[in-house]
Amino acid sequence: MSKPVTIIMIEDDEGHARLIERNIRRSGVNNDIIPFTNGTDAVRYLFGADGTGKAHENEALLILLDLNLPDMSGIDILRRVKENVYVKTAPVVVLTTTDDAQEIKRCYELGCNVYITKPVNYESFANAIRQLGLFFSVIQVPQAAT
Amino acid sequence: MFTSTPFRRSLLQVLPLTAGFIVLVAISVASIIYVGRAREANAMVVRSVEVEKQISAVLLDVRHAESAARGYLLSTYERFLNQHELAATNLQDNLAKLRELSADNPVQLHNAEELSTAVRDHLAYLGKLIDLAKSNNQAEGIALLRAPESGQTILRISDISNMMRREEDRLFAARTIAADRLQEITSLVTIAGSGLVVALAAFSIFMLRRSAQARDEAEAQLRDNNLNLEETVAERTADLREANEEIQRFAYIVSHDLRSPLVNIMGFTSELEELRNDIFRRIAALSRAASPAPPTAENASDDAEPALSPEDASLSKDFGEALDFIKSSISKMDRLISAILQLTREGRREFRPVQVDVGELIEGIVATVAHQASEANATITVRPLPAIVSDRLALEQIFSNLIDNALKYLKSDVPGEIVISARTKLGFVIFEVTDNGRGIDPKDHQRIFELFRRAGPQDRPGQGIGLAHVRALVRRLGGTMSVSSELNAGSTFTVMLPAKWTMRSQDKSA
Repeated sequence: MSKPVTIIMIEDDEGHARLIERNIRRSGVNNDIIPFTNGTDAVRYLFGADGTGKAHENEALLILLDLNLPDMSGIDILRRVKENVYVKTAPVVVLTTTDDAQEIKRCYELGCNVYITKPVNYESFANAIRQLGLFFSVIQVPQAAT
Repeated sequence: MFTSTPFRRSLLQVLPLTAGFIVLVAISVASIIYVGRAREANAMVVRSVEVEKQISAVLLDVRHAESAARGYLLSTYERFLNQHELAATNLQDNLAKLRELSADNPVQLHNAEELSTAVRDHLAYLGKLIDLAKSNNQAEGIALLRAPESGQTILRISDISNMMRREEDRLFAARTIAADRLQEITSLVTIAGSGLVVALAAFSIFMLRRSAQARDEAEAQLRDNNLNLEETVAERTADLREANEEIQRFAYIVSHDLRSPLVNIMGFTSELEELRNDIFRRIAALSRAASPAPPTAENASDDAEPALSPEDASLSKDFGEALDFIKSSISKMDRLISAILQLTREGRREFRPVQVDVGELIEGIVATVAHQASEANATITVRPLPAIVSDRLALEQIFSNLIDNALKYLKSDVPGEIVISARTKLGFVIFEVTDNGRGIDPKDHQRIFELFRRAGPQDRPGQGIGLAHVRALVRRLGGTMSVSSELNAGSTFTVMLPAKWTMRSQDKSA
């Protein structure tokens, strides 16, 4: 493990972002979290100014992705991530309010690793995030090819 | 205008034909009458000729009788006597015939009588001559012949006969003219009538042509209109479908986007609850520190509910109450949004028509609610039900909702009775779910089918979605539903579904 995993949180709703972060922290995960509130900024960060994503070649990333973004669909970001040679190994956790079966199927087809529906019930919400934290500590985030 | 023009046109078509027919009949009648009259006129002409012939015959007989009488007088041959008698007999016959022929004309009849008298006188005179000859008194007979008055009767006869001839000639001329005129009139009537018929026929043909042309034009127009109509209907249907899809998308997006802030409200409310616990724990700790601590609090752990002063406890309770209200409201809103989401999702689900044994399906539903039914002290009777072609899942949702409702709203003091029956009518199957429950006030009969609306005492859980959902499903399956109920007298929900539902009826409603 050369570098600790960086969590990239793409979430337009700042309240949601705050709740997610709190619950991640509560589950004992202390990795860096870089929040983005819109798709454009997130894409610029992920793929760099040249759009290749080479900057993250040797980084371990984990992406928390909301599907309903103000400027683009999270699905587009998911597709671009999974099509990019440098960042496609990063696990993507889709965290959204939609529980439409079609949408879920599409995300898994595009290569998302986990799909979590945000429940309104806070207990369930906190639980889901905490389990995700457990999941973070268990999974081996793959190192980018060196 | 619209109604009178075709009427006038058809009248214009019928009128010439009728007129033609009437003219034809009139011509026929007139012809018959005029031909009859012409025949009569001709008969009169012929009669005039006959009268003249008869006069000639009479005169000839008179001459015969006279010459025979004279011959006898000169020769006293029996032969002349026989000739005279024959002529006299003929003369009587011919005179009778002449009177008969001139019976129609008083003038001629009078003349004929006169002629008869004259002839009788003449015959009497001739008889005298013959009598003289018979008694060998020829000289006296010749003297009688020589007498100046001997030619009197014969003169009278020729006078009268001439008069009769003249009269008859006059009649003949008049009758000929009359007959000719009649013939002229007959032919004129025929020609005029025929001309009229031909003209009317031509007019009819013209009108017929024109109406045929009008009909062809109308037909072409109709065909065009039909095409346009189909196009319009297709356009409208597409528009409607688009609008419907738009609404579905809208409902989906709205309910989805409403959920997002709800997650925040709920999340931070829960966070606030945590904060409240922390705050009041600290208050308790602070107040404990400020006042001499009771010995029991020494070994109390941090998690244990700290003892608060009565004012603080009441504050904490108010705080908790407010948070509980917020949370229960959020839960309710979440359920409503979920319901809308589910409804829009149902609206987007593709229905598939399959053969469904409704009896079996409902038995299945009854089996799943058997526990609830025995708890509610209710019996569910399923009468024989037909198999229909419809969407299985939709049918299941429709009937489980209705049976659920029936069980939910039974009267607590009477054992429940729920009956499910069906009858077939004109390609539709009418299902009835009847209960003896608390019933529904007639003023609420429409309301209960509306989304989020309920009726009666609100003592049972529910969102007011079931019946709205059921009605939407029934409509999509090409059916209708209704309720008949009185308060405290049970309810009957009637669902009318096509016995054979096809995808096409879905397209119509989608």
